[in-house]
Amino acid sequence: MTAAGYPGVSYLRLLLMTLPQIAIAATAFLALTVDLATLRKASLRTRWRVGTLIACAGCAGAILLLFLYPQYGSFGDGMLIANPLTRVVQTALLVLAAFTALLSFDAVFTSHIGEYLAVILFATTGMMFLVASQNFLLIFISLELLSLSLYILAAFNKSSRQSAEGALKYFLFGGMSAAFLLFGISLLYGLTGSINLVEINRAIQGRPLTPMLAVALVMTVTGFGFKVAAVPFHLWAPDAYQGAPTPSGAFIASSSKVASFFVFAQVMLVGLAAGQGSGAWHNSKAGWAPVIVAVAALSMILGNLAAIVQTSVRRLLAYSAVGHAGYMLLGILAQSAWGVRALIYYVITYALAAIGAFGVLAALEAGDNVGVDEIPDLAGLSRRAPVLSFCMLIFFLSLAGIPPLAGFFGKFYLFSAALAGENSGPLWLVVLAIAMSAISLYYYLRVVKQIYVGEPAAAAPPMKISRTVTATLCVIALLVVVLGCAPNLLVGWIGSAMHLP
Amino acid sequence: MYLALFIFFAVLCVAGALNLLLQRHPINSALSLIVVMTSLAVLYLLLGAQFLAAVQVIVYSGAIMVLFTFVIMLLNAGREEHTRGSRAAFLVGFPGAAVLLALLVQIFLSARGHLAQARLGEYVTATHTLSSVLFRDLLLPFEVTSVLILIAILGAVALARKEP
Amino acid sequence: MTVPLAYYLVLSAVLFSIGVAAFLIRRNIITVFLAIELMLNAVNLAFVTFAHQWRIVNGQIFVFFVMVVAAAEAAVGLAIIITIFRARNTLNIDQVDLMKL
Repeated sequence: MTAAGYPGVSYLRLLLMTLPQIAIAATAFLALTVDLATLRKASLRTRWRVGTLIACAGCAGAILLLFLYPQYGSFGDGMLIANPLTRVVQTALLVLAAFTALLSFDAVFTSHIGEYLAVILFATTGMMFLVASQNFLLIFISLELLSLSLYILAAFNKSSRQSAEGALKYFLFGGMSAAFLLFGISLLYGLTGSINLVEINRAIQGRPLTPMLAVALVMTVTGFGFKVAAVPFHLWAPDAYQGAPTPSGAFIASSSKVASFFVFAQVMLVGLAAGQGSGAWHNSKAGWAPVIVAVAALSMILGNLAAIVQTSVRRLLAYSAVGHAGYMLLGILAQSAWGVRALIYYVITYALAAIGAFGVLAALEAGDNVGVDEIPDLAGLSRRAPVLSFCMLIFFLSLAGIPPLAGFFGKFYLFSAALAGENSGPLWLVVLAIAMSAISLYYYLRVVKQIYVGEPAAAAPPMKISRTVTATLCVIALLVVVLGCAPNLLVGWIGSAMHLP
Repeated sequence: MYLALFIFFAVLCVAGALNLLLQRHPINSALSLIVVMTSLAVLYLLLGAQFLAAVQVIVYSGAIMVLFTFVIMLLNAGREEHTRGSRAAFLVGFPGAAVLLALLVQIFLSARGHLAQARLGEYVTATHTLSSVLFRDLLLPFEVTSVLILIAILGAVALARKEP
Repeated sequence: MTVPLAYYLVLSAVLFSIGVAAFLIRRNIITVFLAIELMLNAVNLAFVTFAHQWRIVNGQIFVFFVMVVAAAEAAVGLAIIITIFRARNTLNIDQVDLMKL
């Protein structure tokens, strides 16, 4: 790309390609305006109802646009790529955003409903750009757009001191990691003269792994490792998960994970695969492989072991997310189309289970009007809220990887992709992953046992849970079961989007 | 002449940064960061980035740092006290940063052979070159940035507003 | 008279490392935040230097966007700091420890 630019830039085409993103941004404006302009005097309940309706309609509209008017192609120097695969991921993001809005229904942590929903929708816009770009400039901007939204969402409960504290830690570590990521990008730019992933890959192909390239790789991994909360960049996760208002936590744990992992894989496999260049990317081991192996192993071990000793459900989910990040890195390590397919399946089903688990906690909070944080708080829940308890059971068993559920097949695909092919990850890492999944069973079952066997506090009446939230949770639980019983629905879709046999 | 200018402002930068590191009152740190940013603007000028030099002064040392000083005044932040955390941070912070510094300097100096020499006025980027790229080829990131700023405004207002 | 571009990069590395040190050592939240800004400035210098090396305007544009992002980040970050200060009346990072790390 030169300063003279190219003549054939078609803005109409850009407009058509970005229609879904524009639709979501417009929905955000609509939710904000309607709430601020017309519903100032209305009750919280009405405002939630209208706002959620608008948000869900917007997400549905964007999904329709994705499917009715698919605009495949690329725009300007890898700036925007639209293909069937990005469509799969974008659809997942939109569905998760709609679920987040529905689960926030009737939440009491804020009275700024319009702003809250607008931030969620803008964050979704950012993620949709994030997964559709192969240019570091747009990747960086949309990553920051996502991060800023998440800091805001984490701090949204102003009456809670923990919320601000979690947001502050998230923000400070996030700023630090953004600086590292930028330094990595600048070194890559210095080495190759480009910020386009494909061109960077071409330029570093066949070059030895110079110290400068190695530092660039490590710094880039640092930046993205923070986003996916892999050890040693995970320090923000427990506090942000615990402090954030529960629906925000659901969003941080699900949607942003999907987008971050997809872009992480994209950067590593499209942009930096030729790191140690010995020919085409599918038969060389990338220079970053040892770094990712170390990060993955540490994440699995530390995440799962730390989860065992947690007493807060949210912190437990945070550390288990660190462990899951370790497993998912195996999909990147595999460096194959099968690895990517397994990774996308895993991260989507993981996100469903995580958003569900947080959703149950949010529903309990709204139903009891008190915070539910410690595991003993859940004692005897099955007698007070049988439906929610059953949903929670499904989510936790899926996270643990129990056979008929989606989590099991996610692990199965991921581990077999990591072992298959010439580029197989180290065997010991897969063995470690399996061992750690077995350990994770212990702490998940500890919570489930508390729900089903624990004795409730005296005279705890049945809970009143909003019907919308219950229905949403049932739908998510159903999705987890269906995607587990018929994994081909999703795997086949991802595979055909990637033109896999 | 060029070398002298570079050395003068580079030293000013490092001195400002060190002052930021060593001062115990946030307002002093903020003011030394302004020194760093303004010297960087001169260095950008030496590298032929006219427009960036102007933006660096206006946006960075102007707008952003004013925001910082304003918040420091608003919160009436005082000198920081010694806490149990500070000793541990000292023990981790200095060696960590020193290792990073040694590594980066080593890399850059060893890459010297591949890097060019800068002469004064050699490669000057005119603002119109920059703007034609920015508004034509990079229209999309530019538009996404507008959403980013909107989010920042929205968030700042929602968070900083006092609840009734 | 010329200056090797490597010197500019070394300067950027020095500023970045000082930023990292300040991030780790300083206890005042605002100073920690200033350290992040210093690191971003160091990265910007590296970008401008590389843009000079490659004679491509890309790097300068990237700096432009980094500045915008830094401004947005400052707004959000300071808002979060204000909420912290309202809740605790302290800006010391060690006293913001309701939750164990």
